[in-house]
Amino acid sequence: MTRDYAELQVTSNFSFLEGGSHPAELVETAHELGHTAVAITDRNTLAGIVRAHVAARQCGIRLVIGCRLDFVDRPSLLCFPSDRAAYGRLSQLLTQGKRRASKGECPLYDADLADAMAGQALVILPPDRPDEKFAQQVRDDARRYAGRYFIAAQYRYRGDDAARLDALHRLARAAGVRLLATNDVLYHQPERRALQDVLACIRLKCTIEVAGRRLEAHAERHLKTPAEMARLFRPWPDALAAIGDLVERSRFGLDQLEYDYPDEVPDGRDPFDELVVRVERGVAERYGANPPDKIVKLIAHELSLIAERKFAPFFLTVHDITCFARQQRILCQGRGSAANSVVCYVLGITAVDPNKFDLLFERFISTARNEPPDIDVDFEHERREEVIQHIYRHYTRERAAIAATVIRYRMRSAVREVGKAMGLSVDSVAVLARTIWGWSRAALTEAQVREAGLDPSDPLLARVLDLAEELVGFPRHLSQHVGGFVITRGPLAELVPICNAAMEERTHIEWDKDDIDALKILKVDVLALGMLTCLEKSFALIETHFGGPRHTLYSVPQDVAGVYEMIQRADTIGVFQIESRAQMSMLPRLKPERFYDLVIEVAIVRPGPIQGGMVHPYLRRRESREPVQYPSAALEKVLGKTLGVPLFQEQAMQIAIVGAGFSPDEADGLRRAMATFKEPGHVVKFRDRFIKGMTENGLDPDFAERCFKQIEGFGTYGFPESHAVSFAFLAYDSAWVKWRHPDVFACALLNSLPMGFYEPPQIVRDAREHGVEVRPIDVNYSDWDCTLERDDAASTRLALRLGFRLIKGLAEADMRRLVERRGEGYRLAGELHRRGGLGRTVLADLARADAFRSLGLDRRQALWAVKGLDETDLPLFALPEARPSREPAVTLPAMGLKEHVFEDYRTARLSLKQHPVAFLRESLAQRKILPCAALTKTRDGRRVAVAGLVLVRQRPGTAKGIIFMTIEDETGTANIVIWKRLFDENRRTVMTSRLIAVSGLVQKEGIVIHVIAERLTDLSADLRLDGEDLPLSHSRGDEAIHPGQDHRVLEQKSRDFH
Amino acid sequence: MAGDRPLVTVATIGNRRIVQSVDELAAACGLLPGLTLADARAREPGLEGIEADPAADRAALARLADWATRFSPWVAPVGADALWLDVSGSVPLFVSEAALAEDLLARVRRQGVGARAAIADTPGGAWALATYRAGQDPVIVPPGGIRAALADLPVAALRLPVEIVEDLRRLGLGRIESLYGMPRAPLAPRFGEIVARRLDQALGIEDEPISPHPPILPRLERIGFAEPILTAGGIERGIRFLLGRLCRRLEQERLGVRRLELACYRVDAGVERQSIGTSQPNRDPAHLARLLVPCIEQIDPGFGIDLMVLSASAIEPQELEQGGLLPKAHQPEDGAIVAPLIDRLANRLGAANVLRIVPADSHVPERAMQLIPAFETMPDGDWPTDRPRPIRLLSPPEPIEVMAPLPEDPPLQFRWHRVLHRIRRAEGPERIAPEWWRRIGLINAPDDLRDYYRIEDEAGRRFWVYRQGIYRPDRRPPWFIHGLFS
Repeated sequence: MTRDYAELQVTSNFSFLEGGSHPAELVETAHELGHTAVAITDRNTLAGIVRAHVAARQCGIRLVIGCRLDFVDRPSLLCFPSDRAAYGRLSQLLTQGKRRASKGECPLYDADLADAMAGQALVILPPDRPDEKFAQQVRDDARRYAGRYFIAAQYRYRGDDAARLDALHRLARAAGVRLLATNDVLYHQPERRALQDVLACIRLKCTIEVAGRRLEAHAERHLKTPAEMARLFRPWPDALAAIGDLVERSRFGLDQLEYDYPDEVPDGRDPFDELVVRVERGVAERYGANPPDKIVKLIAHELSLIAERKFAPFFLTVHDITCFARQQRILCQGRGSAANSVVCYVLGITAVDPNKFDLLFERFISTARNEPPDIDVDFEHERREEVIQHIYRHYTRERAAIAATVIRYRMRSAVREVGKAMGLSVDSVAVLARTIWGWSRAALTEAQVREAGLDPSDPLLARVLDLAEELVGFPRHLSQHVGGFVITRGPLAELVPICNAAMEERTHIEWDKDDIDALKILKVDVLALGMLTCLEKSFALIETHFGGPRHTLYSVPQDVAGVYEMIQRADTIGVFQIESRAQMSMLPRLKPERFYDLVIEVAIVRPGPIQGGMVHPYLRRRESREPVQYPSAALEKVLGKTLGVPLFQEQAMQIAIVGAGFSPDEADGLRRAMATFKEPGHVVKFRDRFIKGMTENGLDPDFAERCFKQIEGFGTYGFPESHAVSFAFLAYDSAWVKWRHPDVFACALLNSLPMGFYEPPQIVRDAREHGVEVRPIDVNYSDWDCTLERDDAASTRLALRLGFRLIKGLAEADMRRLVERRGEGYRLAGELHRRGGLGRTVLADLARADAFRSLGLDRRQALWAVKGLDETDLPLFALPEARPSREPAVTLPAMGLKEHVFEDYRTARLSLKQHPVAFLRESLAQRKILPCAALTKTRDGRRVAVAGLVLVRQRPGTAKGIIFMTIEDETGTANIVIWKRLFDENRRTVMTSRLIAVSGLVQKEGIVIHVIAERLTDLSADLRLDGEDLPLSHSRGDEAIHPGQDHRVLEQKSRDFH
Repeated sequence: MAGDRPLVTVATIGNRRIVQSVDELAAACGLLPGLTLADARAREPGLEGIEADPAADRAALARLADWATRFSPWVAPVGADALWLDVSGSVPLFVSEAALAEDLLARVRRQGVGARAAIADTPGGAWALATYRAGQDPVIVPPGGIRAALADLPVAALRLPVEIVEDLRRLGLGRIESLYGMPRAPLAPRFGEIVARRLDQALGIEDEPISPHPPILPRLERIGFAEPILTAGGIERGIRFLLGRLCRRLEQERLGVRRLELACYRVDAGVERQSIGTSQPNRDPAHLARLLVPCIEQIDPGFGIDLMVLSASAIEPQELEQGGLLPKAHQPEDGAIVAPLIDRLANRLGAANVLRIVPADSHVPERAMQLIPAFETMPDGDWPTDRPRPIRLLSPPEPIEVMAPLPEDPPLQFRWHRVLHRIRRAEGPERIAPEWWRRIGLINAPDDLRDYYRIEDEAGRRFWVYRQGIYRPDRRPPWFIHGLFS
């Protein structure tokens, strides 16, 4: 009796909400149990096989590549390709199914099989009770697929197994095919039954209490030992013997995928030669006829690496894309590890001149780290779609698609769904889920459970949390990557199935970034960045209004002292990366005075360095309050640039290498383990190894501990140096625009929203504080975008005219038409309707926004006029004068200023007429509440009271439950710090106040002022008008309103800290 | 619903959870309908949120409307939370308008319903005052005083669409008063006819008829007595009269009742209620009377009953019956014959004491059925047929002594009640694991996965036996017999 067994019917958790184990768990367990091979056969998808492939390669078990095909019109089949070509056909078949359906579905028909079936072995899955219809199907199939066709045989513990298997055996023999033993596996070990049941409940949208017989009756669908399988199938030895034959003929493995990058050079020239030509041209442009020696050497080195690794076409692709963007005047900038290279610089992909910036280490492609080069290119966020569609056009949809992102369960979603399935009340589930801030994957602590008002010792709750923890990391669905493109020479669908994305005109493949990395498939990252949009708009405005050649990212005058002075004052609202509250409180202490200081500023105010406790040592050293020391001479080389404090990702890696004796590969493995959270066990292993290595090298264990903590932070939030340099460029450029042309800057920012940290009211206010005259929206002067107006040729400052885009609910096309037909201007409301072609609803919106002032109408009169328009009048032809007024005159009550301000906020989120708090100033003054501006003149340590509109509330994960709040009155803003205890006592006041009064202690550090709150009072009621609250819109940084924001996706935003 | 935690009802709108209504505590915390649940919770973490049930709210309002017919025959629900009563004829019964309103409010509040009331010349005006004039309770507007009473209410009190209310407010016409002096001509092109019409209706310039509340409890019959009745005989005649009318209507509509409610209104303002249920839809007046008449002894007529209302509170479709060709005794024994028996038993022994076995959805055999009161509606779903199950299930399963050759093999013979059965045929195992979610928190739950076998002994008797747990070197799992197939 043979004891060889290989499980060939395995459903992993990439059959969403069905499989109860990760592909890697399944593969590793099969290996441990002694299976000779294993397959992962998910339903109509190959999404999980790369994970399985990597796991199989690591533990040394053969992975049989296959897939379960579910059809609309015939029984399901397991399909196992025998070679690369057959695999290509399978992938093509899945693509066909996915492309014809909406996101997430894959309808297949028997007829589709015809083209795809060459070279596949097929296993039909019989129904619960095989009948004559099934028998007929088997006989038909057997004729078509003679010699490579099997019937799956499972021992299912349903009582009738012997009879059923005997019947299948007879059927197989009669049809001349064979049985194939499988265990129809759903999870790697029986302990996962509970989770699998819960997944089924989530899928069926019911609670476990009522799921009943839709769940499995037992826990038998796990991977079993070969001996156990042999025992179960003792009466049907053929079914076991067939396994070996099928494994033998299904020889295809993912390592046979030869990834072909497109040549990029049409006429058969060698891509490398082409690259050399372009690089030489670039060198001449950048450095003239005599490039520095250092550059020549570096280029030779890089080119030899590129030649060796055959990456030339990849660089050509990125170069072509950036060239396209430049032609279209779309700003772009590269970053990423390969962006450190001279090649990228001379090709114009990046701005980091290696001659100027002695970048720390070569993280460019290295031979040691066998991985593809990493280049991310950022484009203007409003125009990135043009680049994406260009790529689709250029390479065609057959050869280009976006990578997938596997959306996984986070703790919050896991608790919510497990709780629901286990029958917890909607209420408790919501409370629990709410306790988890943001995107945490960490388990809930007992304290958190108690904070939610629930009992952590309740067994049901404990079980829910355990199951939720188990569910965290499970894939939930596939989505498109933010911008990673995969491009191939041949049809991409033969490499990996392609599906429709939820977004119109987008397709993505089934594999994500890690999968692509593992298979060494190249990916070009086409990302979107709001600040690039803003800068491009700024440059266009400067060109229009001030003349001169159009600026580019790199033509802005560098090292301007005034710009740094402005930055040191933390006068940085709107400036890229250094506009957050955290950054602004750091700037006056760091006092950046040259470009590299900005690089550090960008990198230091990140959760990585903050969590690692690196910020304050750096500050002290920078302020010369602490001597600069290096833990060892070897580390001095690593840390010299940053005063002995590791701030960049490369430094952390380098410490692992130099300090703890890691190999470069290990160091990179460590970085990856941190970044992905997937295997917490591995992190612990690395940790022990790291601390041990450091102490063995004679380094202080405390320092080792700190370094490791920081590396942990880097996994998610750290910046590599080149990345920080690229971002610092944008920070400098945007600061320069703000310093030189505050009018232009405000205008461009407003026209690029949503982006960055601030909302229109703060941007407008900041512009006014910089002496920019801001003019209201008006039907006769405004455009869709905000514009700049020059009253006479002599004036250097332009006035900022707000645009229609600030009014909620208007359509851009309507407003553009209004502007186009404005001619000499509109004199009567009726003209806007007849000539401007706008309907009554749109005009009413404009009236509500008070945009009729140039017609001599305030919002109330305008609304009355607009409401009275006769919609049946023919537009364009009827002359306004021709229509006599038939109506009795109506005198409407006059509108008060406060009412106007309220309406301004309601329609455009801001008012130029008055700040709402100004209406209360008198009563605030009676209560001895100071204007915010008075804080600058208040001594440190004084007890004061201030009041203002609440702009931002943040509870950074790094700050132990402290709440940071920014309030604003008519004189300025104030930064409030609320300790956890006060917050707990005043939770409602903190979370819901629109207008708040804060009394507390003034704390001054240089020009940074905080008020440490001692007492909070909700004054919102004072601000009401006729019982209605001021319609205030909250900043995108306000976590009380937007708690779910993923701060890692929105990279231009940094998290707050103190 | 009073509790110590603020309570709100919540509905899912789009993908947001929106607060629909708030109780007094929640209102005192500043929570308002329209907030998202998340925001509300941010303000008040102790908040309790329950699912809004608009259908049940409508039904409750309809019930209240029905009940309120004791104050006036003309009652109509308005919107989701108000009732109109035309009390013009009823006031004399209560001496004064104020007395009527106070009596009404007191009775409504006794039912646990928060309420406000206003009496005015026009339904529109009364609604406006009851809804927007807070603090005064009840509001009684003397004839002709409506114009003044409404003057400073917001225009929303005219039951106008929110967009119009908003625009009027923006135009500075936020109070009803500001519309009084307004020329009518410019209003229509701007807001349609509705503003002028609602205003005129509220002021009584235009008539607004109250349409009696729609028949949400449609199968309802009533009889009023000029002379209050006091005797059982009188009540029974009333019942039979009402049943006759009700059943005729049901026959036309092909409906049968599952539940009947009888309300007897006493002259002293009390209500006597009785109800009966049936196991199957029924509209036979004689049968229903047999069930209802015995209830009369529990009705206390007090100083006399002046109104009886019979309503079918649960109805189901019932097809037309065809008279049989055979005499009754030859008809098959089916539900048509059992049902009246069940009804009589249940109405005599108590509805909770006559039970019916229905399938339940579980793999575990003893959970695969449940007992429910015979009057409850049969749950959906039939008895499953995909696995063989014995006709009789032993409860609890009884231990047996078994000889089995190998761990996973069926028994060769077993002893039950001292009788030895030799096994001729066997099928299995069917493995059923315990439902882990029912065992959360149980310490040391035994390893009681079961392997079931269907076996037949030499005498052809079939049994359902199982082994509890699997063999381990240190453990011989026990066997049980759980059912008999014949």
